[in-house]
Amino acid sequence: MRNLLRAEWTKLWSVRRWALALGSAAVLSVLLGLLAASGSGTDANRHGLYTAGPEGTPVEDAFQFVHQPMTGNGSVIARVTGQAGSHEWARAGVMIKEKAAFGARYASLAITPEHGLRLQANFTRDLAVGDGTAPTWLKLTRMGTEFVGSVSSDGANWRELGRIEVAGLPQSVEAGIFVNSPPKIRIERQAGSTSVGGVPTKGTATFDSVRLEAGHAGGEWLSDTVMRPSAEKLDPPIGSSSSSGGVFTVIGSGDIGPNEPDDDMVQIGLFGILAGVMAIIAVAVLFVTAEFKRGMMIRTTFVASPRRGRVLIAKSIVIAAVAFAAGVVAAVASFLVTQPILRDHGFAPPAFPVMSLWDVGVIRAIAATGLFVALVAVFSLGVGALLRHSAAAITSVIALLIGPAIVASMLPVEAARWLMRLTPAGGFATQRVKPPNDGLVEAWSMIPGWAGLVVVSVYAATALGAGLWSLRRRDV
Amino acid sequence: MLSEWTKLRTLPSTVWLLVGIVVSTVAVGALAAASLNVSHCPTPATCFEDTTKMSLIGVRLAQLGVVVFAVLAVSNEYGTRMIQTTLLASPRRLGVFAARLIVITSLVLVAGAAGVLGAVAAATEILPRNGFAPISLADGLTLRAAAGSVLYLALIGLFSAGLAAVVRDTAGSITFVAAVLFVAPMLLMFVSDPVWQQRLRRFSPMDAGLAIQTTRDLTTLPISAWAGLGVLACYATAAVLAGALLFRFRDA
Repeated sequence: MRNLLRAEWTKLWSVRRWALALGSAAVLSVLLGLLAASGSGTDANRHGLYTAGPEGTPVEDAFQFVHQPMTGNGSVIARVTGQAGSHEWARAGVMIKEKAAFGARYASLAITPEHGLRLQANFTRDLAVGDGTAPTWLKLTRMGTEFVGSVSSDGANWRELGRIEVAGLPQSVEAGIFVNSPPKIRIERQAGSTSVGGVPTKGTATFDSVRLEAGHAGGEWLSDTVMRPSAEKLDPPIGSSSSSGGVFTVIGSGDIGPNEPDDDMVQIGLFGILAGVMAIIAVAVLFVTAEFKRGMMIRTTFVASPRRGRVLIAKSIVIAAVAFAAGVVAAVASFLVTQPILRDHGFAPPAFPVMSLWDVGVIRAIAATGLFVALVAVFSLGVGALLRHSAAAITSVIALLIGPAIVASMLPVEAARWLMRLTPAGGFATQRVKPPNDGLVEAWSMIPGWAGLVVVSVYAATALGAGLWSLRRRDV
Repeated sequence: MLSEWTKLRTLPSTVWLLVGIVVSTVAVGALAAASLNVSHCPTPATCFEDTTKMSLIGVRLAQLGVVVFAVLAVSNEYGTRMIQTTLLASPRRLGVFAARLIVITSLVLVAGAAGVLGAVAAATEILPRNGFAPISLADGLTLRAAAGSVLYLALIGLFSAGLAAVVRDTAGSITFVAAVLFVAPMLLMFVSDPVWQQRLRRFSPMDAGLAIQTTRDLTTLPISAWAGLGVLACYATAAVLAGALLFRFRDA
């Protein structure tokens, strides 16, 4: 096999045109990325909609908080007796927060109508810790920087659900019960444009047996509506709370969590890979179809290595490795070149935190993009081996890879999403660092990166299998 | 011209490609029409969907077939060195080139017309089932969109043939033309600067050329329908001229 690999590698780099095409693929990718970045801009930072949270990413923090001060280590305990199903992610539970202000650090344990019990901290960490709905007892205990969430059915026997770290909280914090309910988002795509609308929802929950077990505690329960300062002028606060005989009825509205703009800086920067991919499709197809042209070099190849399947496997290993390397190089270069330009065009904190090459998300996107390019190369190789005709193979691959990407941008949400799940065009999702989003023009943002890789792998494996079958069965 | 027609007629890929053009126009258009539904509209009476444009969306895929067909018709002879025989038989190179272009264009027009008519018929069947009014060629704008789409395919054929005569390598020509056509619409999805968006929409071959398919909100079009086809015609003319000159003066 090693000789086969060496033979195929020699075949690849010895054709000057192909080596040139691969080299220019990387350069073209960077140039196209530059074009995309220069033409991009955003005014996200101009309207006060995005405020950075404790961990750097912009957050949303809106809820109703009934609280008391707590000093040192201790617990807040409450029994949630009922929760309205205003939104699947509405929360009702206990929270320990630095202060009752927008964006302050916190840890919370809450129940949701459809997602069970959640332990959350500092907006970006949200753990599923168990199933359950009201009525249930909840306890959140502070032990230094560690917070422990526990649940109980009778208020005496507690079962620990999970722990979460929150650093940087002072000795004296606010602890109590809270309620929130995120807005309902409706996305409609029509005639190639998208409209996104949000309707606020009102969450209601009832609590009793609310108490603090801590060093210094006791006093009046304060009720505050935490919300974005700029929003206070626009929308009247919906939150309120009332208590009678130890039973609290709390009404809260809003979301607690990351609030990032839909656009993804890394994705825009990596857009140029499209040019590189097209060059690699051509080279990968030619790598196999060139042997079938007049002169029939394929016969020489098969005389030298009668195990036909191994020849194709060797080819696919070589082209995949080269494509991966080219893809990663192009991706890294594109990223480094485009990020400063994008920052100048408005993609800056707080709405868009600075992305560096060493961020986990960026590394994952670049590796996934390299893998995507490699899989497209293998797919092209397989199609080329099957069809044995360069024009037909190149066209088929381009039709499956780019056709759906363009057509999907004009279709409604569901149709577009299915098209991305079922065609290799979904592989462009690997360029995204942020979670999937239905509200963008480019349909491949609707599926996660791994889903894109899965569909391209399936196409690559199928094409390679078909190519292997064809090489073995048919005459040359 | 008869010899060019014979050459193309006897090439097996010709039939496949022309059939493919027709089928993809109809199939993709039908799928797109089927995916539309009045329930997506804010109110059934105020739908913003341009049903004609959606029904003719198959042209975007079919154009690949046209590109391959035109490129093969021109560059195939270089691979087999048959070009030398051809030029020996007819030394008047520009005549050969012109005859080839005429044959290519005629075949593309026929296939394109068949595809577009099929797509319109399919949409007329499917749209009422989803609550929309059927489209009909009796409507002036729809007729313009349909005729314009056929013309668009013909111009794409000329554009590809011209570039193929310049590049002379089948795989390279196809990839290059596909890149020129498809990169701009993808780029448009990311470019948010309005000045750049306007430029791309006006001057990119595919977006400008397909402006003729729009039948609603015509005042918001970045470039008027016939001017859009004109832009594509400029590209095609430039490619054909370059190809013709190189064909005439370069060694075979």
